[in-house]
Amino acid sequence: MDSIKRKEIANGVFFNSIKDSRFKTMRISANALVPLSADAASSNALLFGVLSRSCKAYPDFTILSKKLSSLYGADLTVSVRKAGDCQALTITASGLDDRYAFEGESVARELSLLLCSVIFEPNVTDGAFDEGEVEQERRQLLDVIDSEFNDKRIYANDRLIKNMCANEVFGLNRYGTAEKIKEATVQSLYSVWQNLLKNAKFEIMFIGDSASEKAEEVFKNAFSKVQREPYKLSTQVVRSAETVKHISEEMELSQSKLVMGFRTDIAVPDKEVNAARLMCAILGGTANSKLFCNVREKQSLCYYCAARYDKLKGIMTIDSGVEGNNINKAEKAILKEVEDMKNGKITDFEMDSTKLAVVNSFRATNDTVSGIESWYANQLFEGDFKSIEQVSAEINEVTKEQIIKAAQRLTLDTVYVLKNK
Amino acid sequence: MNITEIKSKRAGDSYYKINHPSGLTVYVYPKEGYNSAYAIFGTRYGSINTCFSVDNGETITVPDGIAHYLEHKLFESEDGDAFVRYAKTGANANAYTSFEKTCYLFSCTDKFDESLEILLDFVQDPYFTAQTVAKEQGIIGQEIKMYDDSPDWRVMFNMLEAMYKNHPVRIDIAGTVESIAQITAEKLYDIYNVFYNLNNMVLCVSGNVTVEQVLKTADKMLKPSEKHKIHNYFEDEPYEICEPYVEQSFPVSMPIFNFGFKEKADSLLDEKQTAQTEILLSMIASQTSTLYRNLMDANLINSSFSYELFEGPGYCSVIFGGESRAPKQAAEMIKQYISKIKKEGLDKNDFETAKKAVYGDIVSSLNSVDSIANTIADYHFNGNELFSYIDAIAETTFDDVCKRLNEMLDVNNCTLSVVKQLENEE
Repeated sequence: MDSIKRKEIANGVFFNSIKDSRFKTMRISANALVPLSADAASSNALLFGVLSRSCKAYPDFTILSKKLSSLYGADLTVSVRKAGDCQALTITASGLDDRYAFEGESVARELSLLLCSVIFEPNVTDGAFDEGEVEQERRQLLDVIDSEFNDKRIYANDRLIKNMCANEVFGLNRYGTAEKIKEATVQSLYSVWQNLLKNAKFEIMFIGDSASEKAEEVFKNAFSKVQREPYKLSTQVVRSAETVKHISEEMELSQSKLVMGFRTDIAVPDKEVNAARLMCAILGGTANSKLFCNVREKQSLCYYCAARYDKLKGIMTIDSGVEGNNINKAEKAILKEVEDMKNGKITDFEMDSTKLAVVNSFRATNDTVSGIESWYANQLFEGDFKSIEQVSAEINEVTKEQIIKAAQRLTLDTVYVLKNK
Repeated sequence: MNITEIKSKRAGDSYYKINHPSGLTVYVYPKEGYNSAYAIFGTRYGSINTCFSVDNGETITVPDGIAHYLEHKLFESEDGDAFVRYAKTGANANAYTSFEKTCYLFSCTDKFDESLEILLDFVQDPYFTAQTVAKEQGIIGQEIKMYDDSPDWRVMFNMLEAMYKNHPVRIDIAGTVESIAQITAEKLYDIYNVFYNLNNMVLCVSGNVTVEQVLKTADKMLKPSEKHKIHNYFEDEPYEICEPYVEQSFPVSMPIFNFGFKEKADSLLDEKQTAQTEILLSMIASQTSTLYRNLMDANLINSSFSYELFEGPGYCSVIFGGESRAPKQAAEMIKQYISKIKKEGLDKNDFETAKKAVYGDIVSSLNSVDSIANTIADYHFNGNELFSYIDAIAETTFDDVCKRLNEMLDVNNCTLSVVKQLENEE
């Protein structure tokens, strides 16, 4: 793999490309980054769904799908996620590399053009999107929000963040609310589209064996027609919790869920981010972690018990699936492991094996197209890109003392329980 | 030792099949320029193998869920846990049990030889005691409960129960809290000795490895197995489904359905039949299809809609599923559409598009070391070969697919399973 090439092709629009001949596929994505807000989150999400369904050249969902299938089952997908206090809206086109087409067609060129046309030449007439397409997408999005309730692990994690960050924009759902999605009109979406083209920060990522210059040119031309005023993006980091909030809900389930949210006092761009990351991995990020070995294996308290660190918000969460009667026991057992970290009870074996596992997972991301893309996409708020080898070296330099110090800065903010009836 | 190179002009790749003297079949698929390697060591033994005999001896019946229980317990040996040993190599290890196989796997970017040694060692070295077996009841009990709360899992098993009268595919892979209570160390040793015979197993490796490297560790670690004849007994399964409709109430925001067509399952599908079926299903139900469009326009499905060919020893079905506010109407529309194309025929342009899409999907999957090794293992257990499948797709004709349609998807032999909302939440 060559290193990543990054160019600003318009004000606040960056074209990032990586040439790699190992893969059977190529991938190009456009990431629009905007401040997460209660007013705009829903319309933004709806707009991106609508954009990916059809465009001027392929004016309905079936026609566009047929075009993609005939390009050897190419995909055009949308994702909406929270990145700190920003909403990241992404449309990705991916498909077979030109070398494997039956008749030597250029799939890469067609997909780059297609991605550009869904963003810049949507299915719009007289300042309004197509009514039928918008209604279909509105229904899809409302269903997606509803279905987040079905997986109780996801649901419980969402509830924790909502309660823990009730006074921060981060507490919002990545899709906003059902009410706002219902309020959006074919005309209002038109102005949302215009605003996004003007104000969002854009990061375009191209990964593949074929030349990226053509795609770069296409996007450069398209953006040259837009008067750009990109947003300033930032994230509010709450450094510590003063009191612990306890929230509990009941539901007809077999298994209860216990989720705990901590403030870590460490977030990008702090230099201790790697220490916090390793601290979290030692606690609950691997099959040798303290939580897995002690709370699951030794005490048989739960099937899963894992810790996750959000480096942009400086939040660590621990989630587990437990028997209703064991909730208090599990909570105590988890907090004891956290205390042990703070008191420096970390073995050399835990240090070494966790570093190995973390570095292994980094290096493995280099072997998939989507892994490479997310490696860089996850650094979009960090000023410059670091390679896998660079970050791996930094991880290996973290000392036990730094990890203990990071653990000592943890404060428990919220405990959320979804209890079985 | 017999080493065969298997090449694909279309995919531009090649891999090796080795009949190891120990009895094990080994596949190695080198990927140049990759950082990582992935190895999977599996046995043709899953949740459905609950009744069997060895070398025509007595018939043995074991508790439901025992294959999965064994998978959990195999990680332990007398001097500790395999995860602790992997921790020293940095490999990411896991295992899973499905209906017809149990597999142990790892991926790594460094110290591959050491990790492979650990894999081959612990899977060949069972260690079960009354105490270690008892400890797992709590963890697996929680795992079973987690699945009891999963509407996607329940909707599928409810359908399988209503579709299959006798075949053990109708039983949950992990068993029940009651059935796993009957598992003892002795029973685990019994099934281990039957099914974890290297002649019944496969090792697949893909990534930054060479044949020589894999064989060096294999030669050192594999303990030759005496070949024995395993006979799995399945009660005769009628062609007909048991029940056309089944439902369960759940805390869900929207109903979920699985709509399955029970197919003949006298023998496993070969590469050509699989290719024809995948192209046919893509024509019928992918996002480009008329059916998908009609279901969407009538608000009967959303983007969660999917379809699959679900097949294994003695069972085969085609399942359509997803969220729907009106599952019965969705199923009815699917039925009517299938009746219609059976009468009026398929569209040739749809065929060309679907063929390219199915071909693109399988070639794309050769990007990933995990999916390569997993797919080769699956194909090995089914008696098929990956590159022949890719060729079979490219060579499938419109007539093949039309013929295939007439052999399957009997609209009088299907089951609808629905997970609906709790009354008080509607």
